[in-house]
Amino acid sequence: MMGRIARSVLTMLAALLLAGVAGAEEPPMLEAQVAAGKLPPLAQRLPETPLVVDIKRPDWTPGRYGGDMRMLMGKDRDIRMLVVYGYSRLVGYDEQLRIVPDILEKIDVEGSRVFTLHLRRGHKWSDGQPFTAADFRYYWDDVVSNKELSPFGLPQALLVRSKGPRFEVLNETTVRYSWDEPNPQFLAALAGPSPIYIYRPAHYLRKFHPNYIGQEKANAQASAAGSRTWAGLHQKKDEQYRNDNPDLPSLEPWVNTTPLPSMRFVLVRNPYFHRVDTAGRQLPYIDRVIVNISEDKLIPAKAGAGEVDLQARYLRFDNYTFLKQNEKRNHFRVRLWEKVLGSQMALYPNLNADDPAWRTLMRDVRFRRALSLAIDRHEINEVVYFGLGIESGNTVLQRSSLYRGEFRTAWSTFDPKAANALLDEIGLTQRDAKGLRLLPDGRPMEIVVDTSGESTEETDVLELVRDSWKKVGIALFSRPSQREVFRKRVFSGKAMMSVWSGLNNGIPTPEMSPLELAPTTQDQLQWPMWGQYYENNRTGGQAPDMPDALELVRLYDAWRNATNDAEREQTWLRMLGIHAEQVFTIGIVTRALQPVVVSNALRNVPANGIYSWDPGAYFGFYHTDTFWFDPKGRP
Amino acid sequence: MLRYVVHRVLLMIPTMVAISIIVFVIIQLPPGNYLESYIAELQAQGESVDPQKIAFLREYYGLDKPLFEQYVRWAGGMLVGDFGYSFEFNLPVTKVIGDRMLLTIIVSGITILFTWAVAFPIGIYSATHQYSWGDYGLSLVGFLGLAIPNFMLALVMMYLANVYFGTSIGGLMGPEFIGKPWSWAKTQSVLEHAWIPVIVIGTHSTAGMIRRLRANLLDELQKQYVVTARAKGLPPRKVLFKYPLRMALNFFISDIGSILPHIISGTEITAIVLSLPTAGPMLLNALKSQDMYLAGSFLMFLALMIVVGVLISDLALVALDPRIRLQGGVAR
Amino acid sequence: MSASDLAQVPGAADHLVSTAPFDPTSAARLTPEQERFYLASQWMLMWWKFKRHRVAVVSGIILLLMYGSTLVTEVLVPYNLHTRHTDFIYAPPQSVRWIHEGRFVGPFVYELTKTLNMETLRRDYTENTSMPHPLRFFCNGDPYRFWGLVDMSFHIVCPGEGATLFLLGTDRLGRDVLSRIFYGARISLTIGLLGIAISFALGLVIGGIAGYFGGWADLVIQRVIEVIRSFPELPLWMALSAVLPVTWSPILIYFGITGILAMLEWTGLARAVRSKLLALREEDYCTAARLMGARPKRIIGRHLLPGFMSHLIASATLSIPGMILGETALSFLGIGLRPPITSWGVLLNEAQNINVVALYPWLMLPVVPVIVIILAFNFFGDGLRDAADPYR
Repeated sequence: MMGRIARSVLTMLAALLLAGVAGAEEPPMLEAQVAAGKLPPLAQRLPETPLVVDIKRPDWTPGRYGGDMRMLMGKDRDIRMLVVYGYSRLVGYDEQLRIVPDILEKIDVEGSRVFTLHLRRGHKWSDGQPFTAADFRYYWDDVVSNKELSPFGLPQALLVRSKGPRFEVLNETTVRYSWDEPNPQFLAALAGPSPIYIYRPAHYLRKFHPNYIGQEKANAQASAAGSRTWAGLHQKKDEQYRNDNPDLPSLEPWVNTTPLPSMRFVLVRNPYFHRVDTAGRQLPYIDRVIVNISEDKLIPAKAGAGEVDLQARYLRFDNYTFLKQNEKRNHFRVRLWEKVLGSQMALYPNLNADDPAWRTLMRDVRFRRALSLAIDRHEINEVVYFGLGIESGNTVLQRSSLYRGEFRTAWSTFDPKAANALLDEIGLTQRDAKGLRLLPDGRPMEIVVDTSGESTEETDVLELVRDSWKKVGIALFSRPSQREVFRKRVFSGKAMMSVWSGLNNGIPTPEMSPLELAPTTQDQLQWPMWGQYYENNRTGGQAPDMPDALELVRLYDAWRNATNDAEREQTWLRMLGIHAEQVFTIGIVTRALQPVVVSNALRNVPANGIYSWDPGAYFGFYHTDTFWFDPKGRP
Repeated sequence: MLRYVVHRVLLMIPTMVAISIIVFVIIQLPPGNYLESYIAELQAQGESVDPQKIAFLREYYGLDKPLFEQYVRWAGGMLVGDFGYSFEFNLPVTKVIGDRMLLTIIVSGITILFTWAVAFPIGIYSATHQYSWGDYGLSLVGFLGLAIPNFMLALVMMYLANVYFGTSIGGLMGPEFIGKPWSWAKTQSVLEHAWIPVIVIGTHSTAGMIRRLRANLLDELQKQYVVTARAKGLPPRKVLFKYPLRMALNFFISDIGSILPHIISGTEITAIVLSLPTAGPMLLNALKSQDMYLAGSFLMFLALMIVVGVLISDLALVALDPRIRLQGGVAR
Repeated sequence: MSASDLAQVPGAADHLVSTAPFDPTSAARLTPEQERFYLASQWMLMWWKFKRHRVAVVSGIILLLMYGSTLVTEVLVPYNLHTRHTDFIYAPPQSVRWIHEGRFVGPFVYELTKTLNMETLRRDYTENTSMPHPLRFFCNGDPYRFWGLVDMSFHIVCPGEGATLFLLGTDRLGRDVLSRIFYGARISLTIGLLGIAISFALGLVIGGIAGYFGGWADLVIQRVIEVIRSFPELPLWMALSAVLPVTWSPILIYFGITGILAMLEWTGLARAVRSKLLALREEDYCTAARLMGARPKRIIGRHLLPGFMSHLIASATLSIPGMILGETALSFLGIGLRPPITSWGVLLNEAQNINVVALYPWLMLPVVPVIVIILAFNFFGDGLRDAADPYR
């Protein structure tokens, strides 16, 4: 009798246990495959400790499975945006812009020099193969160290003063990277929208690598596939970011199943995705993402016709009225998110300009201040941005903790009198018959601004700037170029001034790198040669010779070597202060708005958000894997 | 006759060679190359590119080789069916163009048929009722078709079709049918979408054809044999159909040669505006991003279409019109 | 002649004979109209025949007016090319009225009041029907430099004091569309003319050589023509436009685009010249000239060309619309002219998006002058061609 009671208790317990395990439901899309045995059941597909996504926004609700999310892109290459939106990274930014582990279960950082990465046990690639330290080793030993695959060595983000890290595999789920000096960029590079991939699907790529299949077979395979070398074939198959190889295993929430070229891409859920919601259900909620390719000028029209469920790319501020008009008819809402550029458009006086007269002027801080004071930002705001922007210099936004009011207003009010006074002070008092000032050598002051000639927004803003500069006796001519020519002209110093967007990251925290504020790369349009000097490790280009620029370099190094947040914040503030005083770049209007079309049935998309590339990955850090379709919301 | 055919086909070869050289030169003329344009584009969107990767790709794509060598590789490759590599798509060009060229041919073909169907009756009516109100009115309509820039027309028609008929914007079919096998619903969707480009492109060449048909028919109708026939009491319709119309038909065939280039380039620009999956939009992108093999191969294909089209129309004309055969040569 | 005359000839069959005295020159005498006709020069004949084609005449007048307007654009339109009104962005066209509150006031417009609709982010304009602003004529408006020489501010029509006159609405910077259309005419119309001049010259010379000399020159030129004609126009234009260095000044780009358009057009003309020359050079008068020792240049220029110059002119006229459309298409695609040059194509490029079609359709109005010009050129060219062979 004891035996019978024991047995029934045991049976009950077993039943309860089974019920507990099977309690987390399968996504309905996968049920049939699981039942047929083609896919292992949920418990075996998730890592032992999946990431529990718990978003604490008031409008956030746990969702239901199902649905196809439709998007539009302008060309096949844009399919990489789904890797951005999916935002599955080793570590990632959360909504408070802190870097937290995502794919990794844990990460130990010692003095910004030694990073120990802990993977999740049982984590699998999208084809079911295990994701382990072997994938990291493959990258280190077989990709980066291979002269043919990486003729130029390690990527920049892994180099500190040209030295790479020591790489160790501690066990199957732990790897370690150690540098001798702090590498503060490492985590940011891993969390970026276009990250560095320090791991590869080894089990898949081995099939193309001579270390595993032999040189002859690798070469034969390459020529059969039409590649010149085995390295070319390997490279082609290996583009995780480009997202163009349907056979490449992935860790993203949706996996591309359509090869290029195509007018329509279908991405399906990754059955081995490592995140779950608070009820234990595997994410993503949405089964498939459908990306249609269309001519980019037509995308606003198609979005307005209700052909998308989520769209921001290729929608511009001036499409808002049209989209708003069509909201009711086509069952969507159009929201306005804040763009986080330091300035929507900024003028970049070229401190390395070729022409000696202009170079002297551009380097004179009074000249830059005068140009900035002579811009009627209020008018530009009214005309182009419907008055919804914020007039400002090229600095961080109010959202950021590093914002200070004086950074925004320094030299960016509209004061033609002060501008005239400054110009007179410099000595540019001669004018010609039309009232245009003359350079010291007698040439009229005609500033030619190079643009990449893309948007009517640029043309319009420049037209307005031209009118206001005329009042202080300076003429402006815009010279549209193609992008490559544009960059070349700036680098070589032929362009005396150019126009581009302002700071890419207008919402930094002290932990983020201030590399945009110091000469660090050739792409900085205000000092391309100084930037090149540091980019190429003090060869090439020119060393800066202005004390403020050198101070910025010094501060940047100080940030890199800082050991606590207070120090970092201090260096940031000093650098921002220098920029505000020196007006190295002339910002115009900031906090422009980005229309985002959201279908009425799509939930968990924030009503107000920021539209930022890095940090944020556009939709990425809002967790697209938690967006879901509410059948009640559909017409 | 056979000699003529062979002669014409042989003549095609130096023509195509010359075209290939011109195309290559044109593609190479803009400064920079694909890589630089790729980098610049990424930068414009705030993304950055690893300089190591760029150097690697530059070497891999052979963009550092001299121009002459690049041309020989490309032209030689074309003879064996290898049209080069598209940097943008990371694929051989043939994989990328195939579908699009087919659709271009289809759309052009339908447009030619449409042009014939419309121009024929109008041309005949105009010629037989010269200077009447109908003549002027129809000519005016034809001219309007010629005068209205087809991209504006396409844009407006597309928008109106969406507002009034619910047709999805752009493309050759509703987005849900892309990549799916042919079905009745898909055919319906294609027809729904196709009438806009066909009308927009077709109206352009229709006017020209009407005018030329009218002029030719008028010439014929004044000839002696027509006057004789009428004097002998033949009913007017028979007078019209039995002989002059045959002459007009000849003209139709031979006119393909002159309208084909217009139809193909009209197709391109309309396709760009309407985002059709034909050659146009892809060609424009390839030109802008300097994906040179793709752009060059497109241009070659389009030129080939035209050359072959003209050849066919010339041959058809020779076959249909015994006068040319007997007098030798074609006076075009 | 009367029945009584009949009886007077004995033995003759029944036929009528005139008794009027015999005038040996009667058959050769011409009525004044006939005399004028036969003695008229070739160009007079063309003109008369042309006049009969009424539509062509009307078209000719329209063309004349449009080209003429480009000379005095500044005076004709109320605003300058770049004048903008920050407060009147995307304003719809204002209608000109004549009767205000029952009284006849003369042409006037009502004042525009603007409100910002913060929900749709749209500027809404309403007419304030209590504030009429009569138009002023022959007044002083925006200052300009007439033909680059004289500073003037005379306009034929201006808005009322402190008011606006946007007959065709404004664009996104508040610039008057009507004024910009007129200024755009300068570029669009002259590109056509310039391009035709270039291709005309090219066609004449090359076609002349091919037609007259025949042989190898003819073969080579024919192949070249065939190669060029085999190119699809637009893609070739696109490719060539991509070649123009974007660092060129707008004027150079303008000439570059003209050159590109002309490069494809001359083939049609060359073929026409060639075929005509081939036919005509066997004529007797040509042989006579050659026997008399005239050089080929003189034979072509003095004897052959005038015979079909009229045809050529007609053909050329019919090619102009193609060029205008070509420039419009290229600028529309963004690879032709760009702001700040203003042509109809550039204006249409700015109108090429869904906002305009759905919300601000008046920005598409530049297409109307394009249509009118093309129609006018076509009818005009038709008339010329019909008149070109007056002996038919």
